Amino acid sequence: MTDKEIKNSNTSQNTQNTESALPIHETPRGNVMVIAEQILGELQPVTLELLGAGRLLTDKLGTKLVCLLLGHNMAETTKKLIQYGADIVYVADHPELHTYRTLPFRRVVCDFLESLSEPPHVTLLGSTTTGRDLAPRIAAHFETGLTADCTELDIGPYEHKSKIDPSKLGLYPDCLYAIRPSFGESLKARILGPWKNPQMATTRPGVMIPLRADPNRQGEIITVPVNLKPEDFRLNVAETVREIASALKLTEADVIISGGFGLGTPEGFALLRELASCFPNSAIGASRKVVDLGWIPYEHQVGQTGKTVRPKLYIACGISGAIQHRVGMSKSSTIIAINKDPDAPIFKFAHYGIVGDVYQIIPEMIKQLKCVEKEQGEKTIVHSH
Amino acid sequence: MSSSNPKDIFVLVKQVPDQGSKAGLNPDGTIDRARAKRMLNPFDRYALQAALHTKKAYGGRVTCISMGPPPAVEVLLEALEHGVDRGVLLSDKRLAASDTLATAYALYKTILYCGHFDLIFCGLQTTDGDTAQVGPQLAERLNLPQVTYCEDFSLEGDKVKARRIIEGGCQHIISDMPILITVANSYHPLEYKSFRGTWKVQWLQRHPEDLKKVITTVDLDTVGADPEKCGLKGSPTIVAHTEKVGEIGGNCKMFEGQAISDMVVNIIEKSNVKEYLKIS
Ligand SMILES: Cc1cc2nc3c(=O)[nH]c(=O)nc-3n(C[C@H](O)[C@H](O)[C@H](O)COP(=O)(O)OP(=O)(O)OC[C@H]3O[C@@H](n4cnc5c(N)ncnc54)[C@H](O)[C@@H]3O)c2cc1C
Ligand SMILES: Nc1ncnc2c1ncn2[C@@H]1O[C@H](COP(=O)(O)O)[C@@H](O)[C@H]1O
Repeated sequence: MTDKEIKNSNTSQNTQNTESALPIHETPRGNVMVIAEQILGELQPVTLELLGAGRLLTDKLGTKLVCLLLGHNMAETTKKLIQYGADIVYVADHPELHTYRTLPFRRVVCDFLESLSEPPHVTLLGSTTTGRDLAPRIAAHFETGLTADCTELDIGPYEHKSKIDPSKLGLYPDCLYAIRPSFGESLKARILGPWKNPQMATTRPGVMIPLRADPNRQGEIITVPVNLKPEDFRLNVAETVREIASALKLTEADVIISGGFGLGTPEGFALLRELASCFPNSAIGASRKVVDLGWIPYEHQVGQTGKTVRPKLYIACGISGAIQHRVGMSKSSTIIAINKDPDAPIFKFAHYGIVGDVYQIIPEMIKQLKCVEKEQGEKTIVHSH
Repeated sequence: MSSSNPKDIFVLVKQVPDQGSKAGLNPDGTIDRARAKRMLNPFDRYALQAALHTKKAYGGRVTCISMGPPPAVEVLLEALEHGVDRGVLLSDKRLAASDTLATAYALYKTILYCGHFDLIFCGLQTTDGDTAQVGPQLAERLNLPQVTYCEDFSLEGDKVKARRIIEGGCQHIISDMPILITVANSYHPLEYKSFRGTWKVQWLQRHPEDLKKVITTVDLDTVGADPEKCGLKGSPTIVAHTEKVGEIGGNCKMFEGQAISDMVVNIIEKSNVKEYLKIS
């Protein structure tokens, strides 16, 4: 693949004006490819989000949106991928692909990409524990660029003027703009790699918007060969354990009261429930640490490996605000943090913070909110007369 | 239970700018690495603990590897204080502006140069690069199996048993060695520096000739890396544009040091909490 680099050599014109005569590189006609993600056969939401984002890119590029699905007995999923925007679904079906494992999956993806006459222009995966395990292996294999954890994607031109590597000089018409937060979210960086295809990126779950499913959408389904080698089985998964999350209304709640290790005991959640009862459409969230400790079931977990939520109001009680928690809730309209440590990272991105003990603050808050509620209630009654 | 022979354990650590301190921040929000305070990448502390734990439990030798400008030797000294046996620093001007692919290539060459290994530990991610890519990219170059997001592991005979985090659960893994493991921050935190380690480093700093034997600095030529695959030239990605993000950082309205009831009154008044109450 290395030698396939950029085969479209410089189609430069205008030799008179050497100042601005940057060579213009052709746009490769490759498709946009999404690598689907499933855990034990269950399609992950990030895949539908990627198809939504990928559709916007293909509309700009005028190419096709293709999806590569690895798994076993995935016929229903294949249909779903088409309904959500894929023009072509490539299916690698094999019993050994039911459970995700790095080596067999990387084998199938690399073999597939190598079999294509034109590599995809763009290849997208989710920034999940699976996507972040697989994507770098693919990128390293093909020595192509990969941007992690994007929050925006776009297509646009790029002019490379740096003379350090003259072979890269020039104008690239349709590059992938991979946009991501950096330096602890204080900056937004636009990262490009137009020299080599596929241009790869992973996107943060819960950020991109899926299309509405269209049962009438037509698409092609193509089977992909699976040729695994003995060395692909150096690592095996003895067991994949999943706590099945019930349809908790966490993602639909207007108000989420969330508890972390700072609660000190599982009983702390009783207090949070009392606070939550002040709000009509509310739910209880939690950090992973307390879920791991068994203080509250997994379905309440907010964050990278839990749910992404964007309520109107998020009250974080005794949560430090680790990046993995933050990515699941930072889109909330108002974030209030209660933490006894004034330097807790949560105060870097909360909108309102109280420094103090949850066991002193929350009871006071409940008391005052109940008063406000009563007052407002009386006013409403007065008004309705 | 225990595994047969002592292990050659490699651990990869990076020196990163301390983002907690405001020193060395350019007006546009980017980091001026020359002025910024430096620290050991916090995520690498878990990798270091995993490496030292392996040595303690199963025997062996820990080699700590880092790539970076000359001051990065500080993190290798810190690792020595915690009990690693030797350090290797890859430092070369031609590595400037390496992205993850170029970094993984240079580290791959360095690892081959360092010799035999059974286990390589990486941090989950760095706080400056923040990609979690270097580990798996290295594993690809080295053609190794990998466990990313590893929370716990043990060696049994010539196998590694590991638990890795996934969405809503975990995977229990059994793998051959050699293997590359990226250690999650839910693994055991790094223990305190050992008295012996601190003493050893103090002694070494007074004996530069001996220090050179314990911490070696190498360049691209020493490890046989192709300069074309390093630095800006070897990097398929570039940062084309950065912009400051407004809301995050320092805009939190803080209530502290007052009476509890006053703080609560204030927060209820200033925020829009009331809008969501039952009645309204
Ligand atoms: C791969 C991976 C995925 C992860 N996914 C997630 C995820 O989806 N969601 C998630 O949340 N985490 C996730 N984590 C874990 C994350 O890194 C943190 O470890 C976790 O969020 C910390 O939980 P915490 O804030 O409850 O605990 P701590 O970090 O221990 O924080 C407790 C806080 O409570 C404060 N406190 C203590 N006592 C009191 C008191 N009496 N009153 C007020 N404040 C008090 C302390 O000052 C501290 O700030 C993940 C980690 C990894 C490696
Ligand atoms: N310059 C470096 N030197 C040594 N190890 C590194 C370097 N860069 C990255 N790593 C390792 O790769 C991990 C992931 O880094 P990153 O991909 O930058 O998030 C880190 O935690 C380190 O273990």
